[in-house]
Amino acid sequence: MSGEEEENAAELKIGDEFLKAKCLMNCEVALILDRKYEQLQQMSNDPMNQVSQVFEKSLQYVKRFSRYKNPDAVRQVREILSRYQLAEFELCVLGNLCPETVEEAIAMVPSIKTKGRAHEDDAIEKMLNDLSLIKKFE
Amino acid sequence: MFFHIVLERNMQLYPRRFGPNLRDKLVAKLMKDVEATCSGRHGLVVAITGVANIGKGLIRDGTGFVTFPVKYQFVVFRPFKGEILEAVVTMVNKMGFFAEAGPVQIFVSNHLIPDDMEFQSGDIPNYTTSDGSVKIQKESEVRLKIIGTRVDATEIFLDGSLSILGIGPFSKLVTLKRLIPLSCIAS
Repeated sequence: MSGEEEENAAELKIGDEFLKAKCLMNCEVALILDRKYEQLQQMSNDPMNQVSQVFEKSLQYVKRFSRYKNPDAVRQVREILSRYQLAEFELCVLGNLCPETVEEAIAMVPSIKTKGRAHEDDAIEKMLNDLSLIKKFE
Repeated sequence: MFFHIVLERNMQLYPRRFGPNLRDKLVAKLMKDVEATCSGRHGLVVAITGVANIGKGLIRDGTGFVTFPVKYQFVVFRPFKGEILEAVVTMVNKMGFFAEAGPVQIFVSNHLIPDDMEFQSGDIPNYTTSDGSVKIQKESEVRLKIIGTRVDATEIFLDGSLSILGIGPFSKLVTLKRLIPLSCIAS
C-alpha cells in the first residue's frame, strides 16, 4: 500500500491487501455474525454478555441494511455480479447499495467507468436489472 | 466495508495453562486479545470466525512462555476514504450531524450538507430542504461518502459528506432523493 494519504475507494485505491481480500456484503456479514451468535448461545445462556459492543453494533447495522435476507438470494447476488468482471470491492458496494439507474451506479462506484474497462452503459443496466429481479423474487 | 481476512499471529501461553484443552485456551485468548481491537491497517476486528491452524509451540528462552503460531479468519470493518455507505443518524445539531455505521461514528459537518437544507431546532432538531421533501433527523437512514478517517486504539471516527458525487453540494435534487434513502423523505 502506497501511504494512507492516497487511499481512495472511488478510484479503487484500497491497498493490495484489501483488493485481494474477500470483501463481504452486508447481507453476508449478517449471515456470518448470526451463525456465530447462535454458536455462542449454545455455549452459554447469556450470549449478550459474551459478545463485544463492536459485535453487537455490527450485527444490528448489517441486519438493518441487508438488502437480501435469504441465504439463496445472497448467493445469487454474488453470482450474478461476479459475471461482470468487477473487483470484489465494487461488487460489494453495488450489492449493498443496490443502485436503480446507471447514473446512480456510476456515482456510487466511479471506478467501473475508469481505466478503460469495457463497462458500457448497457452492460451496467443489465446488471442492475438482474439485481432487482432477485429482490423481486426473494 | 466488511472484509473476511486470514492472518497469522504468535500467541504466547504460560505452561501453567497447558492441558488437554490447550486449543480451546488458545482460541479463547485469541478472541480476548483480538476482538474489538482496532488498527489503522486492518480496521476494526468484529469477530473471529474460525481458527484454521495452530502450529507447533516454541519454548522461549529464559521465560518459559511458549509461542504458538495461530492462523485465524476474522471479519473486519475497514472504512476507506471515498467509500459510500449507509448510516443511521444519531444526533443532529447546528454544527452538522452524527451518524453510526455499525461500530463506527461518522460526523457530517454542515458545510457538507447540501446548501438548500436548513437546520431547524426544536424538539427534534433536523435538516430540511426548503420544499420540505427531504428531512434528516435522529434515526434517519442516510447515504454518505467518507472523506476522512481517524483511528485510535479502540475506535474509528469518520468524516462524511452528503455530496456523494464529489462536485460540491447537490445541484440536482432528483439525485439527492435517491441517494439519501427514502426514510428521510417526508411523504
